[in-house]
Amino acid sequence: MKSRVYILGGYQTDFARNWSREGKGIQAMINEVMAGAFADTDIDPGDIQSIHVGNFAGELYTMQAHFGALTVNYDPALRGLPTARHEAACASGSIAALMARTEIEADIHDLILVVGVELMKSVDSKIGGNYLGTAAWYEKECVGIEFPFPKLFDRLYDVYDEIYGVKYEHLAQIATVNYENAKKNPKAQTRNWYMNKKHACSSGEYNRTIGRRLRATDCSQVTDGAAALFLASHKYAEGYAKKHNLNLSKIPYIQGWGHATAPIRFSDKAEEAKKSQYVLPHTRKAILEAFQRSNIHGVEDISCIETHDCFTITEYAAIEHFGLTKPGEGFKAIEDGTIELNGSCPINPSGGLIGGGHPVGATGTRQLLDAYLQVSGKAGDYQVAGAKRVATLNIGGSATTNVVHILGSDTNGS
Amino acid sequence: MKEIKKFAILGANGTMGSLSGGLFAQAGITCIFFARSPEKAQRGIENAVKQARSDVLREYIIPKTYESLEEEIPQCDWILEAVAENLPLKREYFRRIDGLRKRYSIISTISSSLSIEDMAEECSDDFKAHFMGVHFFNPPGKLLANELVFLPQNSEKLKSFVADFCKRVLMRVNIAVYNRPGFAGNRIGFQLLNEAARYAEKYGVEEIDYLIGPYTGRALAPLATIDLVGLDVHKEIVNNIYQNVQDERHDSFQLPEYVQKMLDKKMLGNKNREAGGFYRYSEKKEKYALDPLNIQFKSMKNTKHEVIENIKTHIHDGNYKKAVDLIKYGKSDEISLVKQFILGYISYSYSRIGEVTPVEEGIHGIDRVMSYGFSWLPPSAWVDYFGGPRETVKLLDKYDMPVPQHLKNTPEERQCRIPEVTKYFVAH
Repeated sequence: MKSRVYILGGYQTDFARNWSREGKGIQAMINEVMAGAFADTDIDPGDIQSIHVGNFAGELYTMQAHFGALTVNYDPALRGLPTARHEAACASGSIAALMARTEIEADIHDLILVVGVELMKSVDSKIGGNYLGTAAWYEKECVGIEFPFPKLFDRLYDVYDEIYGVKYEHLAQIATVNYENAKKNPKAQTRNWYMNKKHACSSGEYNRTIGRRLRATDCSQVTDGAAALFLASHKYAEGYAKKHNLNLSKIPYIQGWGHATAPIRFSDKAEEAKKSQYVLPHTRKAILEAFQRSNIHGVEDISCIETHDCFTITEYAAIEHFGLTKPGEGFKAIEDGTIELNGSCPINPSGGLIGGGHPVGATGTRQLLDAYLQVSGKAGDYQVAGAKRVATLNIGGSATTNVVHILGSDTNGS
Repeated sequence: MKEIKKFAILGANGTMGSLSGGLFAQAGITCIFFARSPEKAQRGIENAVKQARSDVLREYIIPKTYESLEEEIPQCDWILEAVAENLPLKREYFRRIDGLRKRYSIISTISSSLSIEDMAEECSDDFKAHFMGVHFFNPPGKLLANELVFLPQNSEKLKSFVADFCKRVLMRVNIAVYNRPGFAGNRIGFQLLNEAARYAEKYGVEEIDYLIGPYTGRALAPLATIDLVGLDVHKEIVNNIYQNVQDERHDSFQLPEYVQKMLDKKMLGNKNREAGGFYRYSEKKEKYALDPLNIQFKSMKNTKHEVIENIKTHIHDGNYKKAVDLIKYGKSDEISLVKQFILGYISYSYSRIGEVTPVEEGIHGIDRVMSYGFSWLPPSAWVDYFGGPRETVKLLDKYDMPVPQHLKNTPEERQCRIPEVTKYFVAH
């Protein structure tokens, strides 16, 4: 029988920081997130057996690759360990976690460190926007296009609009809820920013249209940040619980996961959308796989969701693809408050990518850390009361790589 | 207790007036921006809009001149004063407000240097009971610190309402401080800044800013900070402390003579780009540093010291302990001077516990104001990096620095409670 894969905690850096302004490089970010993770969990670096790193474009933003090797610099006790860096655009952090989970399920290792990391403020927004284009099919979709990604997700907006119709005020409400939640998260990038629905609905100098239709408030942030997690086998988790006087039944574990890849080119996705009940059939597939592996009926068994809201329209899609509403009726969950922090299935209590920040390669890891915090009752002011089972959806590219995790514990709360 | 529906700011044309008033508008409160002319009040609105980065803010702000005080003040629930730092002028405004305000409305001043009690001396009992200092830091959109200076007449209920409002609605980090010159932040911050200005006479402007630079736990080097604040404001703050406070570092608050000569030449810092301050930029953006001996500018030398560059490299790589160890164990003249400044900062800060902040807060109140108000590494973080209270006391002894009783009595445990203080080490 496969071992359960537990999450013992971890650490997220403050996503409001600008590491270039602090004169710091990627090694400093890796050192800090690892120091925070070891300190918060009281895990000895000597216990680690393998390290997986999620990073999207270190070569472009920092002229640095080989991130697995950089983690070993943190402590001499880590030298000699197997390490690897994984890349799947904005889903890199989740892919690193998937690989770590596989190694534990295969009974290869008992304790694995997963690090997601991205330093993005090293370049200006136009250059950074161009780098992000490499998450799409660059030569077919991005050459010569300024800020290609908002434009690609504008097309998702178009597809939705064409099939079902989308009112902008619903997208503005998604942005507003994410910013509102971020105010409660001490690590969120926008926690001190001014924002409300009126601002989200405004347009002009301070809320420019970035693509053709999506505005600045519809977009996730350019963020410097990292998140780290410890994944453990049943054997290690049992010993850890004993040593720290914890109840093993309250430690979150990965109940299910899904992983599906769509064609990278958006026009191919648009073609598929016309033939499917769901606009993003591969996103739906990853979600259903995760439900099935968790042995749950569906979204009614989920307490809250940390989803990929690189743009408001992405979260709009997630509402339906998770099954909170029927396809084409996502607006209902927005209008009735389902997705709000005190709603029946809050989405992005952390503030998500729009409010919390989106250091691309770290996002999937950060989502899992937030799911861990929710299930273990440690999310502070953004805690969803009684969160028992939490889902994450991490998307790379224009909904190309889709990774879903479901975290839960046998008995919830801290 | 009460609801703040309408707010007024006096001095809305100034930077701090407009930006502080803007925070209330950001909370969705109707704000009256008072200035001497409609144009000035409008300028204040533009500042507030720029800070919030939202045109929506305009809906909440009404520009007025002081001629409308009679009409507006009786309806206001909170009146914040941000006029020039001039006691007779402030008293004049408060006399007018006292006669117009409704009972129980809150009145606060943003003053950073004048005595709060003196300002309200001539006002009614109800005015005094609802009057306090609410000292934001510039720019309040980025620096969250808020020194709260309550008077003995303020009720506990009012104090807790104001503190809660500032925290929850204005998203401030509150620090309770006593009504002492410079309160906590400026007292401790300007001690170091003025000392840096005094040392610049001997070591030179460029060398002091290099040695006590951002890598020593600050966003900006000390003399560049004075240029940013303005030499006139710097003089006002240090003179007030020098004249009204007697402490173990009293001399360090004396304004250097050459700084007065700079002021005589209208060298105010960044606000007078042409005359400059400690630095001046040519039209081609070349940087020049002041020579304090003759008040002339000279080209930057850009001299580097190997040990300082090594410290910066450790900070760049996130090896903060190694960086601090180079300071702790370094013996060169340069490092000795750096250590003197850092140890002086620790000693002076811990010695102010109970004088500028409540004793029960320990170092935590001062830590908060220095990090959230100045963007400096808080003093207790230095103690942690130096190896704890005992190790720091040894260093203070070695450098003949006063050893504060509070540090001596501190248990041997982690001191700093500010999250991610590493961000204050800047590798420039």
